[in-house]
Amino acid sequence: MLDLLYQFLSNTGYFLADYRHVIMLIVGCVFLYLGTAKKFEPLLLVPIGFGILVGNIPFFKGFGLGIYEPNSVLHYLYFGVTTGVYPSIVFLGLGAMTDFSSLLAQPKLMLLGAAAQMGIYFTLLGALFMGFLPKEAAAIAIIGGADGPTSIFLTAKLAPHLIGPIAIAAYSYMALIPVIQPPIMKLLTTKQERLIRMPEPREVSRKEKIIFPIAGVLLCCFLAPTALPLLGMLFLGNFLKECGVVDRLAKTAQSAIIDTATIFLGFTVGCSTQADVFLTPKSLGIFFLGSIAFSIATGSGVIFAKIMNLFLKKKMNPLLGAAGVSAVPGSAREVHLMGLKEDPNNFLLMHGMACNSSGVIGSAICAGILWSFFI
Amino acid sequence: MYGFENITANNGWAMAFVGATIVFLGLVVLSFVIAQIHKILNLWDKKDDWAARRKGAQPDPKAQPHAGPVYRERRLPNVDELVIIYRPLIERLTQPFELVQLYELSNQMELPHPNLSINRLREANILLAQGDGKFTWNR
Repeated sequence: MLDLLYQFLSNTGYFLADYRHVIMLIVGCVFLYLGTAKKFEPLLLVPIGFGILVGNIPFFKGFGLGIYEPNSVLHYLYFGVTTGVYPSIVFLGLGAMTDFSSLLAQPKLMLLGAAAQMGIYFTLLGALFMGFLPKEAAAIAIIGGADGPTSIFLTAKLAPHLIGPIAIAAYSYMALIPVIQPPIMKLLTTKQERLIRMPEPREVSRKEKIIFPIAGVLLCCFLAPTALPLLGMLFLGNFLKECGVVDRLAKTAQSAIIDTATIFLGFTVGCSTQADVFLTPKSLGIFFLGSIAFSIATGSGVIFAKIMNLFLKKKMNPLLGAAGVSAVPGSAREVHLMGLKEDPNNFLLMHGMACNSSGVIGSAICAGILWSFFI
Repeated sequence: MYGFENITANNGWAMAFVGATIVFLGLVVLSFVIAQIHKILNLWDKKDDWAARRKGAQPDPKAQPHAGPVYRERRLPNVDELVIIYRPLIERLTQPFELVQLYELSNQMELPHPNLSINRLREANILLAQGDGKFTWNR
């Protein structure tokens, strides 16, 4: 009887746990705390945080329980991540939720979305400098786009063994936008620049909104066909929304479909942070590079806006450059809040959303370009 | 391998430069295209107006033979002036004629107030009724 009891106890998580599990369980709790108490990107941090808890409960290997064990339930759920299915579905919903009116009204703001992608390429160099392999470096670099689904998609294609740390880094920095971006924005702009008011965007016709996803998918996917799974779905979702004849499909894409994909994506990414796989020096390097990538992306957007102002008659608020990263709508909200701090009547949210949506397109193109370099 | 050596060995500089250039150019082209969408749509919406205006501006070949006095004044001329204006038109008609013919001809010549003008000529007995719905020119 004692043998049976000992056998049972030796199979429990309490017996199998080591310090690495404890660390990851604390990380999971921090994610849940940030998501629920601080309300930092709760839609992402709550499923990821809970996934970290589930993924780091110790168990006997070989019973088909863990996410990395073939035939386990978690492994099948994780299939959507490793094949890039969930990111594509998330992009479908994102397209169906996004209103590109402000971008269509001010196309020049798209350049800020392009400028903010520079963080990706600086990080690529940084990762190579630190000794990562080229494919790993490309997967790490995409964190600079501040786009979780795009990061996961590219990592699944180039460096599947790094999905956990890269996804966690990307989502963490997205959640930490209110902490990371404001100091950079403040450092790179003067008070006068922050006070610049943007003109009211013109009204955009329905025809324009319908034509945009068609023009967008043709131009972007001809340029980088490898971005098709992301941009094809993004523009499909947007066309469903704008064409006005498939409201049912658009509503499903922007609610049930994206919500389901987000739950499974977040949860399985969280589960993939199994302590023995996740807690490695490489993960620390990835987190370090991720913060650099995100900071450079923010900074390059702001600096490019200032450069554009040298040539523009009607100056634009350089804070908008920080919204060029594709963290929708977090970075646009931060830009708006910083604008409001300086001038309570300066509303930058719509302009920020224009930069944000171009950032989404830009980072997906970057993912396609990086992937195509290794085909 | 680490450092710049690793970047150079893996073609990192070229990848970063080419990648950044492609994404930048791609978004510049996309922004240029979307900046043109509303202009093209405006042109498309105006195409019917243009076609109508262009059609209206071309001279009507049927109107060519009827070259004659055309006046643009909006006031109704007096009887003597009307006689001078309408005489060339009458000369193109075979007498007796119907008022409808004179009316159509005056419309082709873009004469203002053709109804009022013809009515005034009739009241002044310049246009004489023949009793069978036809009129003759009495000058």
